[in-house]
Amino acid sequence: MAKVDLKNLTKKYGDVVAVQNMNLTIPHNEFLVLVGPSGCGKSTTLRMIAGLEEISGGDIYIGDEKVNEKDPKDRNVSMVFQNYALYPHMTVEENLGFSLKIAKVNQDEIEIKVKEAVKILGLEDLRKRKPSQLSGGQRQRVAMGRAIVRRPDAFLFDEPLSNLDAKLRTQMRTEIKKLHQKLKTTIIYVTHDQVEAMTLADRIIIMKDGFIEQIGSPIDVFNHPVNVFVATFIGSPPMNIIECDIINNNNQTMIKLDENIIVNCPKNKISEISNLKNVIVGIRAEDIVPITDNTKENNFSWNFGKEIDLAEPLGTETQLFFKLQNKEIISRMYNPRPINVGEKINFQIDENKIHFFDYETKKAI
Amino acid sequence: MIKQIKKIGFWLLVLFLLILICLPGIWIFVSAFRPNPEILSKPANWIPDRWTIHQFTQMFSINGYVSVPAFKYLMNSVIISSVSTVIAITIGMMGGYAFARFNFKGKNKIFLSLMLARAVPGISLSLPLFILFAKLGIINTSFGVILVYVAMNVPFTIWLTDGFFRQIPKEMSEVARTDGCTRFQAFWNVELPLAGPGIGAAAIFAFLLSWNEYALASIITRTVHSKTLPIGMMDYLDEFTINWAGMCAIAVVMIVPALILTFIVQKHLVSGLTFGGVKG
Repeated sequence: MAKVDLKNLTKKYGDVVAVQNMNLTIPHNEFLVLVGPSGCGKSTTLRMIAGLEEISGGDIYIGDEKVNEKDPKDRNVSMVFQNYALYPHMTVEENLGFSLKIAKVNQDEIEIKVKEAVKILGLEDLRKRKPSQLSGGQRQRVAMGRAIVRRPDAFLFDEPLSNLDAKLRTQMRTEIKKLHQKLKTTIIYVTHDQVEAMTLADRIIIMKDGFIEQIGSPIDVFNHPVNVFVATFIGSPPMNIIECDIINNNNQTMIKLDENIIVNCPKNKISEISNLKNVIVGIRAEDIVPITDNTKENNFSWNFGKEIDLAEPLGTETQLFFKLQNKEIISRMYNPRPINVGEKINFQIDENKIHFFDYETKKAI
Repeated sequence: MIKQIKKIGFWLLVLFLLILICLPGIWIFVSAFRPNPEILSKPANWIPDRWTIHQFTQMFSINGYVSVPAFKYLMNSVIISSVSTVIAITIGMMGGYAFARFNFKGKNKIFLSLMLARAVPGISLSLPLFILFAKLGIINTSFGVILVYVAMNVPFTIWLTDGFFRQIPKEMSEVARTDGCTRFQAFWNVELPLAGPGIGAAAIFAFLLSWNEYALASIITRTVHSKTLPIGMMDYLDEFTINWAGMCAIAVVMIVPALILTFIVQKHLVSGLTFGGVKG
């Protein structure tokens, strides 16, 4: 039951900086997700909070206590690892009770707490089994149970679902979310999977090269990415990014998406964009609407036709691939019909849904 | 039909190789239980005409007459081998863990030099060892022999246990530490039990090396006070005669405990090696 505070947290491996001046306050009971590509420093951050990695600079507070120099065992945090790391020589029960046994809790109390954890996670029938006799999902559940039993101040999850197959991953994701609602504890969760990040988090932190790129609620991050990296990282399929020229003509500002495809600049952006030469345009796949998609009325003033390079039917939708300025663009077609490669389809774009990024700094305009 | 012939041929070959390998051992066993003249008879007499335990009764002075103090040698061997093994495996285990888990300056060089120490033939050290031990006054003591065997076995046990600890995922100790263990508790409660079979194997190897060692012991041990079984065997070598039967008998005394030990632990080794804590 505690908040976690990171102040100017830095980690260096020789000359390589893994985490740079990270400042972050994680309030009590928050589900925080650290997301980013491999090597962005998210796992390192988590391991520093756990005390498994020495810090090169800055401070870590758990509750109001500075824990920089404390051993992992004295920090009262529990960690769940990607590969479960269950003790293979102990039964499920012994695995769950191990931390209490080390803390010299008496046997009756261990029994009660283990029983409780077993009940929360639905492991009743597996109590006497060894880890080698469990499936992947069951093992991950035991690993979570082991973390629960201790009643830690904070749970640390290090890519806990990466070793599971797709179906199980979805299922366990829901369970983790429910668990958080039940336990009401601070959770810091590391993943490279943006879907996990979106679905689980109260707050997402997107990291890259040891820096925090953006902090915000999942919807906020999705709707208002602060730069091109966040825009392409969050959302599936990734946001379409096109470098465009700006045309200023008769007091009108227009954006050239491709030869002969020119959109009006949205009114609220004109002042910022009109004095630029180029701009990076980001459009989500669902905002490039095929006109053949009958669900939407054709109420836009303009549209453009393009030949389809590839169509990927997904059941509820079909993803259409075509090119703008020789860059691959993805559009989402809801209510799909069969599409032939090479077929010409008309698309519309609502200019108000376009994201603009600075050509030089890649930051949102 | 051809298949069957092939199969029979295969097993005949296996049998032949097996006999070839076991023959010296069999010969020792057979010779230990028959009188000396029969061993020397030509052509060789494969099945003894007369079985006897004469050599054993004499060795262990069951009928009053002592040929060679085999019991004392056996005790020396047991004490020297077990004590040196316990010390070597304790040091080796900790050393192996350090090499597997920690990074420190000159780690690779130290490891390499340990391995190189193993490459030096023990016998080449015999003269310096003899002089050194003589000056220190530990020649002809069990302590001296134990010291040599520990030095001989530590690099070996470090090398073996390092390999076993490396196979245990690092997360095991990490999760134990977030579970409230100190580094040592994590080692003791989690990593050591997991490496147990490997450490057992290393211990057996170390024990057998000490148990069978001849060259260095022959330099350091002088009297019945510290002689081990392999050295004791030479007591049957007189100026004009060699008591082959006695030698074979004492060889049997040496082989049997080693065999039993290997059998016991072999079972334990296999059963302990099935893990499942980590996806793999």
